[in-house]
Amino acid sequence: MKKILILLVSVFGTLSVFGQSRMDYTRVNTVTQVGDTLVVKYQYFRGTDANGADMPEAKVYQFDIQHNNKLLDVISNDWQPTSTSAQKAVNTWNGYKFTIDSEKEQTDFDGQYLSWLSGDATYGTDTDWSVQRVTYQDVTSLENGAEIMKVSYKIKDKANTNYTDYTNLINVNWANYQEADGTLIDVTGQSNLGLTGIQGGDAGNVSLSISSNVITNNIGDGTDFSYTIFAKGDNQTPLASGNFDAAGDATVQGLENDVEYDAYISIDSSKEYLDNAVTVSDLALVFAEAIGAGNGPNGISTTFDYYLQSLLANVVGETIPNGGDINFQDSYEILAYLQGVESTNTPFISKTGQAFNMSGIKSTFGDEVDGIARVSPTFKPTDNNKSFQFGHALAGDVNFSHGFEPTSTNASIPTQATNATARTMRIEGAKYQPETANLDLISEIVDGQVIFSINSEVLGMVGSQFNIVYDKTKLVLDDVIFDTGNEMTNFANHIQADGKINIGSFDQNFKVTIKNGTPYKIIFTPTEQINNTAGLITFKVKEGVKTDGTQINFIMN
Amino acid sequence: MKKLLVILILGFISACTHDILEPIDLNVVDVPESLKIDDISGLKTESTIVSNEVRINAKLPYTGTYRIKIRDIENEMISQEKLNAEEGDNLLKVYVSTLPKSSYTIELAEDNHTIIGRGVIVVQ
Repeated sequence: MKKILILLVSVFGTLSVFGQSRMDYTRVNTVTQVGDTLVVKYQYFRGTDANGADMPEAKVYQFDIQHNNKLLDVISNDWQPTSTSAQKAVNTWNGYKFTIDSEKEQTDFDGQYLSWLSGDATYGTDTDWSVQRVTYQDVTSLENGAEIMKVSYKIKDKANTNYTDYTNLINVNWANYQEADGTLIDVTGQSNLGLTGIQGGDAGNVSLSISSNVITNNIGDGTDFSYTIFAKGDNQTPLASGNFDAAGDATVQGLENDVEYDAYISIDSSKEYLDNAVTVSDLALVFAEAIGAGNGPNGISTTFDYYLQSLLANVVGETIPNGGDINFQDSYEILAYLQGVESTNTPFISKTGQAFNMSGIKSTFGDEVDGIARVSPTFKPTDNNKSFQFGHALAGDVNFSHGFEPTSTNASIPTQATNATARTMRIEGAKYQPETANLDLISEIVDGQVIFSINSEVLGMVGSQFNIVYDKTKLVLDDVIFDTGNEMTNFANHIQADGKINIGSFDQNFKVTIKNGTPYKIIFTPTEQINNTAGLITFKVKEGVKTDGTQINFIMN
Repeated sequence: MKKLLVILILGFISACTHDILEPIDLNVVDVPESLKIDDISGLKTESTIVSNEVRINAKLPYTGTYRIKIRDIENEMISQEKLNAEEGDNLLKVYVSTLPKSSYTIELAEDNHTIIGRGVIVVQ
């Protein structure tokens, strides 16, 4: 039995070492990109018999190659033998593909040749494939290992084809090697030639989406946002631009696979709701941070929950990456803005007509690197990933009321580094969920004047803000009466041209709270006879701030 | 007898004349057909699609203090008027020139927020 086994092993070993002639086709060069030139050599190997003796020499070498013409384009066919006596021919047919004789191995090239002659293997029409028939005949046989032909192919983009990869590009269909007397020689070889890791090419439809509380909270919608795409590292020559749809999605075309791009998202700065982006709640956060600035790890923060807030709150002065921090200059700039006081600086406070955008990949939005928040505009379409989500925030909007609150754990300042422990107990992306409280805002006619009064029984508010819009064609502002308490800092910003009044209060020490009752009263005189006031005065922002900076959204029955 | 007959005739004639009506304080308003409300109370707007302003009829069950509220599409109140009004029909206006183009709900409520009527307008 042992001897039989040894004999069998010996036989198999012989078969594996000695065998048929071969028609090999292998690539000569390395290709990685769409557009690269792939060079394939078609090579003759003379077979040996079981005794190691050479198989008969061939005089005719004929074989059919087929290539996927959607993925490859033939650039040239280059004969390699230098014999001057040889006869050579290359014939090409486009739109055909070989159907093998399934009774035989695909790599039984001489067998498939015989089947083709007998009609058991056929050529059918297929627009994706092209056939080349190579014929070489000479009185002198080729050396073992001789290259018959090198074919250069250009690699085409698989976008808009039915192919998802390049793993089957070239097949040899059959081979007809003949001895001088016409005897057919056994020929075998590989089943196909393919490529992996080919990059580039038209990325097709690339999806971008934008996340912001402007969309989430129906302040506006996705059409308020637009994108501009540049080559990575460039910000001068846009490659693509457009608007998002209402849901905040966009489809971009004309990009290439495996190429990095930078996308910058902007909000339509003409939107009136931008005047409500920076409010007393942001002021409170910045004031709190200014009081504690420099005490936290890396000197970054003691009260903020996210590293990104340092960038959003740094409305004036040296930038954070260059050593700046959040100080009273920032908080007073915001207070001045709420009070309608013109600043001699140009603070990065987003408002209608002036949006300071910050956008980046959503999953890493505001991630900390070396103690500073980062946003990455860079994305790279690939075969496996053509969808990219971005977050958007606005400078000055520190509580993300009109931005995207980071959801990455790397964007969140560790709880032990902050004083805002009450908020940081919540998960990322949900730390700035406002609380609610009841309030009564009413307009009425009293003695021929229109009185708008804000009646509050809310306790523990260190700040409040109300952005009022009135019909300036029918009302003229007469007076604003504060009854918030003796120690409260009040502000009123009347933008007469727009018929807007922003009023509110804030205690910079976070100690004194706003007096209950009717802390604010605005008095108008009608410019024409009116019997009632419904709709003449509307309220856009109505929010308060607790001592820990938590925003209170006022609701009314 | 003749005198008695005359007295009776005069008394009969007198009984057939109209009573003299004492003046009473009724809120009589000339309500256009488009704002008429059949129920004892409610709210009706003169038009659904509006711009600048729209007339409304606030028909009230009693004389007192009421509220007219404007709510946006998310039912958030964006404007509120408090007014004293008479029982019956009250022709009022809702001014919409400062409202963004959208749909709004007008609510008529008692001072304690009990709703009496609602109407929907579309500002364009």
